[in-house]
Amino acid sequence: MQGRIFSIQRMSTEDGPGIRTTVFLKGCSLSCTWCHNPESISALPQVQWIGSRCIGCRSCVEVCPHNALELTPKGMQIDRGLCEGCGGCVDECPSTAMEMLGEDRTLEDLAAELEKDRAYFESSGGGVTISGGEPALQADFAVSLLRICQEKGLHTALDTCGMVKPAALESILPFATMVLFDVKFADSSLHKQFTGAPNEQILKNLGLIAEYMQGHENPQELWIRTPLIPGATAAKENIVNIGRFLANNLRQAFSRWELCAFNNLCKDKYTRLGKEWDFAEIPLMTQEQVSALESAAKESGVNPEIVFATGATRSGE
Amino acid sequence: MAGSNAQVKEHSVKEPKGLSPRIEWLRDYYFQGAERAWNNEYTAWTTGDPWDEVYDELSFYIVPETYAFMQTFCSSYLQAARKVPLSGNFWDLSLPERRAWFVKEVMTKHLPVEILPGDLIAGGRFNIQASMCLDKKQAKIRKKLVQGKKGSRAEMKWFHDHGYGNAGATSGHLVPGYEDVLKKGWKGVYDDLASRLDALGPENQNSPQANQLKAMMTAATMPRDLAARYASLIRDMEQKEPDPNRKEELARMAANLDHTPWNPPRDFWEAIQALWLTHMLVLSDENYPGPGVSFGRVDQYLLPYWEASMAQGMDREWGKEILKCFWIHANTAYDAMIRTGANGGITAGYGQLITLSGMGPEGTDLTNDLTYVFLEVIDEMSPILEPKPNVRLHANTPEELYDHIIDMIAESQGAPFLLNFDERSMAGMMREAEKAGRQDLINASNVWQYAPVGCLENTMVGNDRSGTVDINLNLLKAVEFSLTGGADLSPYKDTVMGKEYAIDASGIPTGDPTEFTVFEEFFAAFAKQTRHIIKKAMDLYETSESVRAAYHPTPYLSCLVKGCAEKGRDVTQGGAELSFVTIEAVTFATTVDSLLAVKYLVFDEKICTMAELIQALKDNWEGHDILMARAKFKAPKYGRDDDEADEMASKVMDLWTEETWKHKTQSTGRQARPGMLSWNYWVGDGYILHASPDGRPKGQFLSNAICPTNGADINGPTSNANSVGKALGGRKPGKGDFGDYLNSLPNGASHTITFNPSILADPLHKEKFKAYLKGYVQNGGTALQINMLDADMLRDAQKNPADYRHLLVRITGYNAYFTSIGKELQDEVIARLSHEGL
Repeated sequence: MQGRIFSIQRMSTEDGPGIRTTVFLKGCSLSCTWCHNPESISALPQVQWIGSRCIGCRSCVEVCPHNALELTPKGMQIDRGLCEGCGGCVDECPSTAMEMLGEDRTLEDLAAELEKDRAYFESSGGGVTISGGEPALQADFAVSLLRICQEKGLHTALDTCGMVKPAALESILPFATMVLFDVKFADSSLHKQFTGAPNEQILKNLGLIAEYMQGHENPQELWIRTPLIPGATAAKENIVNIGRFLANNLRQAFSRWELCAFNNLCKDKYTRLGKEWDFAEIPLMTQEQVSALESAAKESGVNPEIVFATGATRSGE
Repeated sequence: MAGSNAQVKEHSVKEPKGLSPRIEWLRDYYFQGAERAWNNEYTAWTTGDPWDEVYDELSFYIVPETYAFMQTFCSSYLQAARKVPLSGNFWDLSLPERRAWFVKEVMTKHLPVEILPGDLIAGGRFNIQASMCLDKKQAKIRKKLVQGKKGSRAEMKWFHDHGYGNAGATSGHLVPGYEDVLKKGWKGVYDDLASRLDALGPENQNSPQANQLKAMMTAATMPRDLAARYASLIRDMEQKEPDPNRKEELARMAANLDHTPWNPPRDFWEAIQALWLTHMLVLSDENYPGPGVSFGRVDQYLLPYWEASMAQGMDREWGKEILKCFWIHANTAYDAMIRTGANGGITAGYGQLITLSGMGPEGTDLTNDLTYVFLEVIDEMSPILEPKPNVRLHANTPEELYDHIIDMIAESQGAPFLLNFDERSMAGMMREAEKAGRQDLINASNVWQYAPVGCLENTMVGNDRSGTVDINLNLLKAVEFSLTGGADLSPYKDTVMGKEYAIDASGIPTGDPTEFTVFEEFFAAFAKQTRHIIKKAMDLYETSESVRAAYHPTPYLSCLVKGCAEKGRDVTQGGAELSFVTIEAVTFATTVDSLLAVKYLVFDEKICTMAELIQALKDNWEGHDILMARAKFKAPKYGRDDDEADEMASKVMDLWTEETWKHKTQSTGRQARPGMLSWNYWVGDGYILHASPDGRPKGQFLSNAICPTNGADINGPTSNANSVGKALGGRKPGKGDFGDYLNSLPNGASHTITFNPSILADPLHKEKFKAYLKGYVQNGGTALQINMLDADMLRDAQKNPADYRHLLVRITGYNAYFTSIGKELQDEVIARLSHEGL
């Protein structure tokens, strides 16, 4: 069995408890305007060009069977209409300037890699996180991978945006020691405006997980994550409403609510994919802004001790 | 003090703290460097005979920066040397007796003694260059052996110029038996020597053994007489001292010296006084300011004295005050060439190492109150270079110690100490015992007593001289020879004189590589060449080892190394119970990656022919950009936890270490053992060694010790550590050298990892970092230097992106390879890091 992934991150310290190896699966059911992993959205393989690595040899241009590449003084132009993601240019590039986003990896191969940091998982209470994109879109693969990890005695986390079929979600839950669940907006129309989909299904799935946890061994833990996006989610009203929803509907089912402050470090990713990004020039939030939202979250009805704000903030101004 | 100031500047973020006015004054005074009225620079002393020599260049053969000045040093120290009137029977004595007498005479009668204001420890000047005490005939023979046409100097320079590395019989690099001498006092040492001499019987009183014992007896009285000299000076000072507090301190200092180090110290102050005098005289005896003369496990053997003083009501802070004076003394080693600047060409610390914490018997932990006292002193005195601390970690290291050291790392923007990992290190020592058949001296019941010397070189304590920096061999030279069938890739050119020499074929014939049809043939050639260069290195070492054994006895140091008195043999002649010499392999990862690149480019992927690859290397990759990029970026690399690539690392490791165990020195019978230190050679020798198949052009750095090549480590700190652990042998349940652990390098291996400061940003992340270190105990190497990413490094990464492809910057929750984000964003990250840390 194969799964399509776009990245593996060893020694991740941000995708759940402890030290983790995070597998990022390609393809997402949402398309959030602020997305930090724009390469995760499309389920298809995509090539990208990293200018700082390019030695200008034009090997890629010459090998491309579809004439999709042109090296201009402004950098590599990739005609996404012509490119079929065959990866010929990636193989030919001598300096890894052409990179393939989306690689099909076998279960066995991946499982072997995920086990390599067992010593660090065990010393930290960490493990494997399966993220994306939306991992539940490749549910069969996700189930198999997490099952193998659990059989090897590794802690497993599912990081989901929630916009998935309940059956797919339910098939994964027994094999996830914990779930990281994104809640972006309390309001469905805002949700649709910024992520491309309303939130009813997502919130229903969240309830489903909480209920499932009651009667099953796994998942043992549920963390809620809310990205703080200036001009979108980072509004007091939204945070308060999310908090109220969580307090009223989940009660004690979740053990952490993380507010993750925005940064624009991924803007080059958009450039490389030839995409415009509305948030490219949005600065970091100030400490005051983040603290205000953190306080709002803590006063929303959720146990304030489980509310955390993370991420860098702007200094000075 | 240009050199040490320059190094201190790197840690300028950290400031000393909590210092008393006394220590603040001493510390500030120390850092005035050459401006100081008092210093500890070399003074030279001669017999006055026209054939006399004072500068022993052998110790500097491993410091290529000094080669150009070698003759100048020889001549100028002699020229500046003061004449010491000799005793009537001087020339009737044996060489070791003459030397013991001469050094003692200088230290106890001629070298000025002073006490700095407020200092609580006596023992100021110790850097001397003393007469070799050779008679005319000895001097003549030695001169030929060293400076002759085929002498050790010429051989050493040839070896270095042709990219093999370097080798020389070097001082220091051991833990002398300080613990033992504190227990019995120098009087105990003296009495033991006297009874051994007596036991030789009246007919053997002029045998070489007897002469050695007599020399050692003379040396053993040196600390007593020097202490008496300081006591007398201090009494004079006390008389004139108006301040009653200081007067009392001086009275106590004089009383300390009346008693110790001749007698065993009774409390902490006496113990530190005895330890310092005993230690500094080793540096005098060896005429070298402290290269790796290490203190060992100070928090263990000083604990009884500490506890005694605490029980007598000593204030904890007062105990630290005494230690801080000791700190200042250790740093005056750097005064040796204070006016030459840059430590006389030495660009790294001297490495008077102290070892803290670590495993005891049966896996117990030995952390104690004194461990924390030492850590507090380090923290309060830093930044300062000496003594260099090394903290030993193992499976049962307590949380409190982890928390303490992690807070120190967070505050210092990098670790103010090196971490040593017990299980892996002890596995190496057990391997050594097995290979050398010395299980009687190193075994499961005592291996936990080991301690590192110099930087991280593991040895036993008080009975072990393992020449840990004496032979430094570039494994890459064997790759070069495999590509040419035994010759240099291109001619050697003398850059000073501009003269180009004919191509030198000092390798062995291994055939024309362009006719090899499978990679295994290439590897077989590499294996033969590796065996050959190891032999060459041992042969070179013999040229200085044999001279040292014959002409450079160190009878004082020999008193502190078990085995010397028992055998009546000087430590320089292999007198130590454990007498190894270490080959430190340099260029390990560059060599492994080069082999991987040959396999990938020529045999597996057939991207080029062997002839094309060789041509590209001869052209220093110029005009071969695409091939170079493929070699550098597409070929597999060691250091990524890629099992196939790391398998090559294991093969190379097995090959060269097994070969090393086959060698012994001829003159002294010292068994060779393997290690990976690299010191700074990986930088300098990068300008000597030709382009390598891994895509490295001549002039670019080689790999450092056991670290992956620059930029190869693209999968982060866990994979980097896993690769290193695998290269050392990994773990094999039930079949390890120590527990499950295997380790091919008893000496240990230097490993550096640079972390992003975000890993220490808050308590939660500190816990994750702690977990990383615990994982390193299981999976990693023997020693780890932790560096923290700083703005300067990022600026360098902007300029040299290829060297920093692995550099991850993290803004909580988001990771990016620094070099793959745009310039504008890079600037932003740098700006943030300079101001607040990520």
